Amino acid sequence: MTDFYQTGSITTLHQIGKTSLERIEAELLAYSKARPIALVLPALYSEFEGPAMPGIVHELAKVKYLNQIVLTLDQASESEMKKAREFMSPVSAEIKIVHNNGRRIAEIYEMLSRNGVDAGQKGKGRSAWLAYGYILARGMSEIIALHDCDIVTYSREMLARLCYPVANPNMDFVFCKGYYSRVTTKMGGRVTRLLVTPLVRSIQQLIGPHPFLVFLDSFRYPLAGEFCMVTDLARVNRIPWDWGLEVGSLAEVHRNYSARRVCQVDIAATYDHKHQVLSAEDVGGGLMKMAVDICKSVFRTLASEGVVFSDGFFNSLLLAYLRQAEDTLMKYEADAAMNGLEFDRHEEARAVEAFTNAISAASRAFSENALGNPLIPNWSRVSAAIPAIFEMLEAAVDADN
Amino acid sequence: MSDFLNLILEPIREMFMKFREFLPNFLAMLVILFVGFLIAALLRRLLVRFLSAIGFDSWSDRMGFTSMMRKGDLWDKPSSMLGSFFFWIMVLITLMTGLNALKIHVIENMVLQFFNYLPRAASALLILVAGYLLSAFFSRTLLIAAVNAGYRYAKPVARAVKVLLLIMTFAMVMEQLQIAPGIVLAAFSIVFGGIVAALTIAFGVGGIDVARKMIESEVAERKPESTDVEHI
Repeated sequence: MTDFYQTGSITTLHQIGKTSLERIEAELLAYSKARPIALVLPALYSEFEGPAMPGIVHELAKVKYLNQIVLTLDQASESEMKKAREFMSPVSAEIKIVHNNGRRIAEIYEMLSRNGVDAGQKGKGRSAWLAYGYILARGMSEIIALHDCDIVTYSREMLARLCYPVANPNMDFVFCKGYYSRVTTKMGGRVTRLLVTPLVRSIQQLIGPHPFLVFLDSFRYPLAGEFCMVTDLARVNRIPWDWGLEVGSLAEVHRNYSARRVCQVDIAATYDHKHQVLSAEDVGGGLMKMAVDICKSVFRTLASEGVVFSDGFFNSLLLAYLRQAEDTLMKYEADAAMNGLEFDRHEEARAVEAFTNAISAASRAFSENALGNPLIPNWSRVSAAIPAIFEMLEAAVDADN
Repeated sequence: MSDFLNLILEPIREMFMKFREFLPNFLAMLVILFVGFLIAALLRRLLVRFLSAIGFDSWSDRMGFTSMMRKGDLWDKPSSMLGSFFFWIMVLITLMTGLNALKIHVIENMVLQFFNYLPRAASALLILVAGYLLSAFFSRTLLIAAVNAGYRYAKPVARAVKVLLLIMTFAMVMEQLQIAPGIVLAAFSIVFGGIVAALTIAFGVGGIDVARKMIESEVAERKPESTDVEHI
């Protein structure tokens, strides 16, 4: 049983008691008549061979309110794409696969590049962005939901709870982020627990309250990959293509919409997906790469809102973060003990040390080049550069399917 | 015996003489084909590089040519596509020139017909390109104007105009290429005329009241002013 406390500037929708999935789905079905819902699934082909995807497909087969599903598939050959299509066949909603390794989509990326639109390097950010483009091109849906394809504990209730706040016209939300506890026999979510939250709070400690930091700190799981939004947001938001995807997307939401129209929803009691290795010594891989990209994204967003970063600031930040993270670590240790969870204090402390190095690396990179990796331009700008982009993207995906 | 031998040898000699006459032509054809293919390949490479250098691909993306190609499931770069088109035209011309070198009457006639047809094909291509550009331009202009005027059906109307203009372009191209011109003309007249007639009837029947009101208000506005002087 959760509490009903509202955190920060956004609305938190809790799971209080046992809610009726049938009621939510029935309402969603009614709402979807006026506001059709599309689901974007960014997936690697390897995920179709893993344990998560069969469960996801099994659950999606029971969902009636989805208008279309866009599976944006990476690292798949032509034959593997066909296998993925067959795999998805039990699902009744219209399914389109964006084959990111196909020659047609490759030509779309090539065309974007030659017209000065930098779609970044391959990855979840770029794939999801292209899927949004396809949904905008089709013009069939008004709401886009997205979740990962490596969720081992997936249930259709997750999707229903994620879509409901945006689909319900009485609520007037434009963006909804999922949250959940990444707990099995021990606590997961190291980057959120030990990096993002302590980092945000330590920056607040140094510069005082800042609207973006308050906004970011309001999210219980800011790095959750599950969210739902109105399609207009997909048109105007720019997104990062690196690991700063989640934080960068939240920064764009904060920039373009009032916090009153943003919410987070409890989508699952437990959640488990694949875990990244820490790779403490290598800032170019594993969780370290993710941590560096996230820190850079936070710094860039704050700098764009007028916060001045200096060497002295970064030095203070490292120490402030370290103390925040150590305090946080003790809180989680107590929490784990209370709930009978495994807690490897040494491993957690190593993670904190590694994240401190990541902040240091990110601050150096930011000082050398504040602009860093550009965000993928929003679709409004892309269609201004290439007026027929939507027609071509639609033609590419439809021909691939 | 000698006559008999002559009877056998004469055709062989004639055959040999004809072959001796034909061989230089044949060799000339092979040389023409080899050099022609070589030049075609070289020109294609140069053309593609030139088009890339002047940003033809990007221009084509913005003008809608790339979109036209994609709708036809052609996924090469526009510059590479144009290069290939140019290459195959060159190959065709080389082939015709090579065949002409054989000095065979039937082939010479065919080659002549081919070269006579080239201007038609070129003008058909020009019509196609211009038609596509104009249809895109008018469609977009109409769309912008209609959207700005708050017209609800701006997009379908703009699309309909584009389709109609493309039908007209297609008919003109076929007429230019002389491919079943009678049938194309008849089909075009029926389709285009049918659409216009349908629109006219739909507008006429649906808009009787509006038209009456417009005419009445027009007449009312034109009513001559009274010449009577009004006193306060």
